[in-house]
Amino acid sequence: MYFTLHSKPHHRQNASGGKKFLIMGISALSLLMVGTSAQAAVTFKNESLVIKKGIKNFDETVKGKITDDKGETLVGVIVKVKNTTLVTTTDANGAFSITIPSGTTNPVLVISYVGYTTQEVPVNGRANITIQIKSAINDLEEIVVVGYNTVKKSDLTGAVVSVGAAEIRSRPVTNALQAIQGKAAGVDITSNERPGQLGSILIRGVRSLTASNSPLYVVDGIPLQAGGIEAINPNDIESIDILKDASATAIYGSRGANGVVLVTTKKGKAGRLTLDYVGTATIENLNDRMDMMNSGEYIEFRRDAYRRTAYLNAVNGTNTQPIYNYPVIATQAADREIFKQDPNMLTNLDKGWVNGVFDGSLVPTTDWGDLVTRTGVTQDHVLSVSGGTDKIKAYGSFGYLNQTGTQLGQDFERYSGKLSVEINPVKWFKMGANLTATYGLQNYGFQAASASGAGNIYAAARGMLPLAIPFDANGNRINLPGGDINIQNPVLEADYNINLRKTLRTLGSVFAEVNLLKGLKYRINFGPDFSNFYNGRYQDAKSVNRDAGVPGSINNYAQLNQSNRFAYTLDHLLYYDKTINKHNFGVTLLQSSSSFREESSSLTGSKISLPNSLWYGLNTGNITGLDAFDTNLRKSTLNSYMARANYSFNSKYLLTASARWDGASQLAAGNKWDFFPSAALAWRLEQEDFMKNIKWVNQLKLRLGVGSTGNSSVDIGSTLGLLQPLTYTYGSSAQTGYVSSDASLANPIPLPNKLLSWEKTLQYNLGLDFDILKGRISGSLDVYQSKTTDLILLKKIASVNGYTTSFDNIGSTKNRGLDLTLNTVNVKTKDFTWESTLNFSTSKDEIVKLDNGDMVIDRFFIGQRNGVAYDFVKEGIWQNTPEDLAEIAKYKLNGVTFSPGSIKVKDLNGDYKIDANNDRQILGHYNPSWTGGLTNTFGYKQFDLSIFIVARYNFLIQTGAEPLQGRFAQRVVDYWTPTNPTNDYPAPNYASASGDQYVSALNYQDASFIKIRNISLGYNFTSEIAKKLTLSRLRIYAQAINPGLIYSKVKWIDPDLGGSTFNRGFVFGINASF
Amino acid sequence: MALLSGLMILPTSCKKSFLDEEVINSHNTSDFQTALGLDGLVIGMYQSLKFHFNYTWAYTTTNYGVDEFTVGGDRTEQMFNSYDGNFNSLSGDVASVWDNMYGSINSANIVIKNVPVYYEGANKNTRLGEGYFMRAFDYFKLVKQFGAVPLKLEPSETIQEEFTRSPAKDVYAQIILDFTQAYDLLPATVTETGRISKGAAAHFLAKAYLFRASEINNAWNSDTKTTDLQNAIKYADLVINSGSYTLATNYSDLWNFTTVDGTNETNKEVILAAQFSNNITTQGRYGNQIHLYYPSVYQTLPGMVRDLAGGREFQRLKSTDYALDVFDRINDSRFWKSFKTRYVSNNPASAPKWTAATAPTPAQVGQAKFVGGEEAVLYIVNDAGDTRYTPLIANATNPLATDLARRKPTMFVRYFAGQPQSYLNAHGNYGVSQFVALSKFMDGSRNLVASQFGQRDGIMARLAETYLIAAEAYGRLGQYAQAIPYLNKVRDRAAYKDGENRESYVDGGISYKTNPATNATALSSYSDKNTYFESNNIPVTTTNTLTAMHLNSDGDIFNSNREFFDKIGATAQSDKFIAFVLNERSRELMGELQRWEDLARTKTLVARTAAFNSEAKPIEGKHYLRPVPQSFLDVIKNNGNALSPAEKQAMQNPGW
Repeated sequence: MYFTLHSKPHHRQNASGGKKFLIMGISALSLLMVGTSAQAAVTFKNESLVIKKGIKNFDETVKGKITDDKGETLVGVIVKVKNTTLVTTTDANGAFSITIPSGTTNPVLVISYVGYTTQEVPVNGRANITIQIKSAINDLEEIVVVGYNTVKKSDLTGAVVSVGAAEIRSRPVTNALQAIQGKAAGVDITSNERPGQLGSILIRGVRSLTASNSPLYVVDGIPLQAGGIEAINPNDIESIDILKDASATAIYGSRGANGVVLVTTKKGKAGRLTLDYVGTATIENLNDRMDMMNSGEYIEFRRDAYRRTAYLNAVNGTNTQPIYNYPVIATQAADREIFKQDPNMLTNLDKGWVNGVFDGSLVPTTDWGDLVTRTGVTQDHVLSVSGGTDKIKAYGSFGYLNQTGTQLGQDFERYSGKLSVEINPVKWFKMGANLTATYGLQNYGFQAASASGAGNIYAAARGMLPLAIPFDANGNRINLPGGDINIQNPVLEADYNINLRKTLRTLGSVFAEVNLLKGLKYRINFGPDFSNFYNGRYQDAKSVNRDAGVPGSINNYAQLNQSNRFAYTLDHLLYYDKTINKHNFGVTLLQSSSSFREESSSLTGSKISLPNSLWYGLNTGNITGLDAFDTNLRKSTLNSYMARANYSFNSKYLLTASARWDGASQLAAGNKWDFFPSAALAWRLEQEDFMKNIKWVNQLKLRLGVGSTGNSSVDIGSTLGLLQPLTYTYGSSAQTGYVSSDASLANPIPLPNKLLSWEKTLQYNLGLDFDILKGRISGSLDVYQSKTTDLILLKKIASVNGYTTSFDNIGSTKNRGLDLTLNTVNVKTKDFTWESTLNFSTSKDEIVKLDNGDMVIDRFFIGQRNGVAYDFVKEGIWQNTPEDLAEIAKYKLNGVTFSPGSIKVKDLNGDYKIDANNDRQILGHYNPSWTGGLTNTFGYKQFDLSIFIVARYNFLIQTGAEPLQGRFAQRVVDYWTPTNPTNDYPAPNYASASGDQYVSALNYQDASFIKIRNISLGYNFTSEIAKKLTLSRLRIYAQAINPGLIYSKVKWIDPDLGGSTFNRGFVFGINASF
Repeated sequence: MALLSGLMILPTSCKKSFLDEEVINSHNTSDFQTALGLDGLVIGMYQSLKFHFNYTWAYTTTNYGVDEFTVGGDRTEQMFNSYDGNFNSLSGDVASVWDNMYGSINSANIVIKNVPVYYEGANKNTRLGEGYFMRAFDYFKLVKQFGAVPLKLEPSETIQEEFTRSPAKDVYAQIILDFTQAYDLLPATVTETGRISKGAAAHFLAKAYLFRASEINNAWNSDTKTTDLQNAIKYADLVINSGSYTLATNYSDLWNFTTVDGTNETNKEVILAAQFSNNITTQGRYGNQIHLYYPSVYQTLPGMVRDLAGGREFQRLKSTDYALDVFDRINDSRFWKSFKTRYVSNNPASAPKWTAATAPTPAQVGQAKFVGGEEAVLYIVNDAGDTRYTPLIANATNPLATDLARRKPTMFVRYFAGQPQSYLNAHGNYGVSQFVALSKFMDGSRNLVASQFGQRDGIMARLAETYLIAAEAYGRLGQYAQAIPYLNKVRDRAAYKDGENRESYVDGGISYKTNPATNATALSSYSDKNTYFESNNIPVTTTNTLTAMHLNSDGDIFNSNREFFDKIGATAQSDKFIAFVLNERSRELMGELQRWEDLARTKTLVARTAAFNSEAKPIEGKHYLRPVPQSFLDVIKNNGNALSPAEKQAMQNPGW
């Protein structure tokens, strides 16, 4: 990665996407070539033949072939003669040959293979046997990871949803969150399209009122503390198990309140060696749902904004001097007056006036967005090896991702590697290590310097006036196109701003396991988690963020921020299992300590005499002093004890109970510790005699669980009464001082609350797992109800206290919902299959109690949902009709001024006054009533087609409150004018920069949507063809990403993303196994 | 096994130290129980003085919606000027003032409570005095803006949810008590520039007495009115006669900011100033941003580009005709020392060219009208009846000799030939972005052109105002003759001196010359001249104007025909006197972030805005006070419950 500071005066860079794609293709091809020498099968050495004498005196050789349920040959399948030590494996063609010693009566072959059901096949004298073995991907026999253990899915007592490697791979994703989006009921994931950025995840809705509702991520048993899940290459993931209900998450006590995402990374498997290659190439373009006014529309809009004052004077009898008295009938002279700040705009404007007649379509419109976007290209390659024996298993992978954003200046590159080794030297001891390392290089891209400015370069470009132009006749950038000092040209800013973020993340887990006695096992886990974040920023003097346009300016800017986090978890675990007849007992005991430490530093300098040094030259050779500097240290610790007991009877009745104690450093002494119990019951109905006769029911399990979890997510130091440093200069003598809190800052220090204690959630879950009609219909249904008490909130307090906020336990909420996962095989013929997977969940939270009543300021109301909009209610627009004028007159008696063209809000208490105390109400909630994902997969011979749809329903989003001042660029809206009496948007008014007095009432939109996330078409080469290419498996596919919204009420944004832009494109991928 | 079970110890026996929280790199509230910590707290508390210059609230709550200024080209905060529906209890700047004053009051409460208990050392009285001063100062700001406010006099240790508003009467009583304590405790002279002195306490105490005796408090102040006015005079005199302060010789000396922490900032007229500097670590989130708000746009004009001396033109506050006409612009130097009227070309590449129609000689056709360093922009501050200028007529083939197109520089003229005098209607070619800009706060010392971080001190009290406080108090007591000498102190100073070059001009932009960030080779827009003679259309003269400025008797006030008595309906002597003092305050303190508070307390806001500010439509009985922030009404409790709409309404100021 390198940077060039472009001194070229203009022209955007052409995307070099085509070239990159070519490179990707070639590299994929070369990998195929290399693969030809990969030898796939491993033959197990036949152990010594033990021949039992005296029964038969000749040996018999049996030959055969083993295929899977699709008829494809399998390599490395273990074939054993039952009750002997005779073993062989299938070769590259799936063939085997084994000699059965003479004297064996009724020989039986035991066929076993990882991922397949073990089968016993009587030889029955045959010399040639073709055996088809069945895939073990029978849902209820899957192994599911639960906290500190794994269980068979059939033995599960809690609500756990799993996403396997196959599903993760089914879509090309750049991070693990994308992989589970829409795939797991009750897990709501939003998207983020900036390369290298993650979306957000919410499990079973909102419980806590604090900012932190993000789940706990546990990778190979180690809770992540130094960062999130982004460090894991999705291709290294074997499975993701999401613990949803408290009976499952309580095992993580204080950390489980928002759900737990357990990630199991790939490990070597005994049996054979594999080499896999996965490669994708993605081509995307930025799409914008927001229509901006073209020049003609904008000119008329601006005229209307200027006409408003005179109109108001006329209808209200006021005598306000108009800023510019634009005539009712447009004239060229009047137009020139309102666009006079920029001669280039005048040139364009004049093109619309022909012989005294205005035709807006003749005025050129600059496509600003086109100047800052490009075709985004992503290439992703992962090469992995895996293999193992019964003593040692290993997995290794290397991944490379290169993503070029659709906006200039945004890109992301990631190198990831993983190594996993497990050694089992003696029967009673096992030790293993996992190491994941990821190095990400993200160019974050342009962001306006002011917090209220554009967040990215495209948004900045969209803010440019349509009739202004970016470059002058000499090709130099016009810094203020339009001549307004607040509208700065973002074109070329991708060259002038560098915001490089480098993240090195290393996750490890090391474990050792000792079998002490029969059934008693001790395990120690140590999980270091290291993250190094490096952010270098440079803004050139030419940037609009700096001195754009000032000749000879050397006022560049550089900043270097570094932080490193080191966290570890050290677990001691004891497991005891005992089976007495039909009774199965299991006990798990845990002691765990976690520690988190973050050290950070920051340097900022400007006017660097050697601009090319970027942030690498903040030294005395280049600057005389730093503008700002900072170092910091943050620490926290958590100590935990846990005990869990499992009991099952006859595999029919399953019981799990656990208890956990957690102590957290950031709570005040006396409130540090708390206790989190749980219990769960499951009943496998299909094991009952009365069910065994019902043939169409294969699996049926009822689960009931209850558990308690906690949340202590308050900032480090927030109960200590830390002071705000404030330095003051007396004359020129700077002296350091401090106050307890400074309200003028963006985030003033909260009032320290030493009484703060744990937030706790008690949740009940009732679940049903089913598999009927031989797998044609399977799935699970869960209903849950939770109650969260002692909610922690950084609540606003009256500033009269001298503080504006404080963490406090403020009340309780409840949440109830339903999660449904339904898998159906709709059609299954020899050549054609149609399968559907539906995930559906609803969640309804409610604030039950607030210790001090409704908290209007924080928008919490008893009996309402958490996260509600509370504002004035828009009824329409006041019209110039006798009825409306009569109403307006009644308001006027109370000193409230409305005019035709202004927003009409509901007078809730009917007193002909509109005030914040009486006339605001709850308008809706920000969390969806339900979310869902539907995948339909069609298979025809070697082809498969899958369509993935996601939906979120009934939630509000804030967008659409536009000030309509007529100063800045404007999206197309149906606004009021005396001749267009719409009820949609109010009249534009140049005099009012912040817009109509009730403009905020326009802000709440129903954001429900149904979206096709992608459509995928794949082709699996037959094993014959694959074999010719010396591959064991080969699949190629193409996918369309974001083909479109099927339903959305909001026309100008993509409600999934919250903004108006989204990327749409195609992915081409190849999966090959050697 | 024993070892293993040892690891599985129960929570009760856990190692305590593992969960102890310690933050080693921050002070905490226990420091306030030491002298050193209290010294630090007082230093931090001073930061709150800077608040009044930090951001938009500085002008929206003081200089918008008045007679002096109206909205310029950037209308972002226009509601504070127009008093329209967008100005309400949800307006952000209102809450900022409220929140920040109470934040600072909490610091003062800690000082007042802890210094007597924990402070040992020579500065004990000073620290305590600083605490009392700050609490009084902050409540004074609150009472001026909001009237009745909650009186919180104890530090906060737990969350208090229930508050009621104490009547303005009680708030004023506390303010006067605290300022008096501060006066008694503080030293007469301070050792460090910017520290609060006895004089500062006396100045604000006098001002608090004057405000309490003003019209806004007429419902309850009759008992204290006379003694308050006498006390206002008493404490003003204590400042005036203290020997610590003297008026600047030249009004310009106050604004002649040549370098950071330069001599103008230690002028003996300054009683208290919020200290800003170029020490980056002390600038905090904002710096002094007032320099942004007053300038009109010059960077888009021909021959001009934005630079350090000219500053960033946020064009928020446009001077009204009142602001220009309240001055006797021939005799009162303060006008020409407060406003910028001339710019020189710093970007000759964009200079306009003579055309065949406009060129003085044919040889000049196609040539630039001016070169770098020559005057490029002039504001002509003339009166109606001036026939020298006619509007620029684009593309005219033979423009009049008086057409602006015939002139070298770009000119903005207040009245063209034949235009009638008006305070409310547009005239001349001034516009929303081109107006005569107040230049008292210009700051050429900033470390880059785009920087919002101003480094000039913000003057909070200066001796000229002390004189005006005393003069007003005498006038309010009906003792007009006694008021005259005080008024003359500031008026005489404002007169041109013998030999004074009236064209000479200086503003804080001049500090660009000592600013290391200045590009030495680049041209500057800075001009050391104004348009005095061209605007006034009089021949050059250097005789003094003392006679014209000096008041010989109260008759000079009551019989004046240039004090707008007719415009604002002042007929009684007492009304005329107040009107005159308010005009004199305009002349002396133009734009110095006080105006709204003066007009509100004298209840002259409605009449004056009606006369002079076309957009401002304050409502009698409503707009003399700001709305209590909704964020306060929405968060407080009554008997453990959130306030009902009716309770909130009852706690809100009338009309809001």
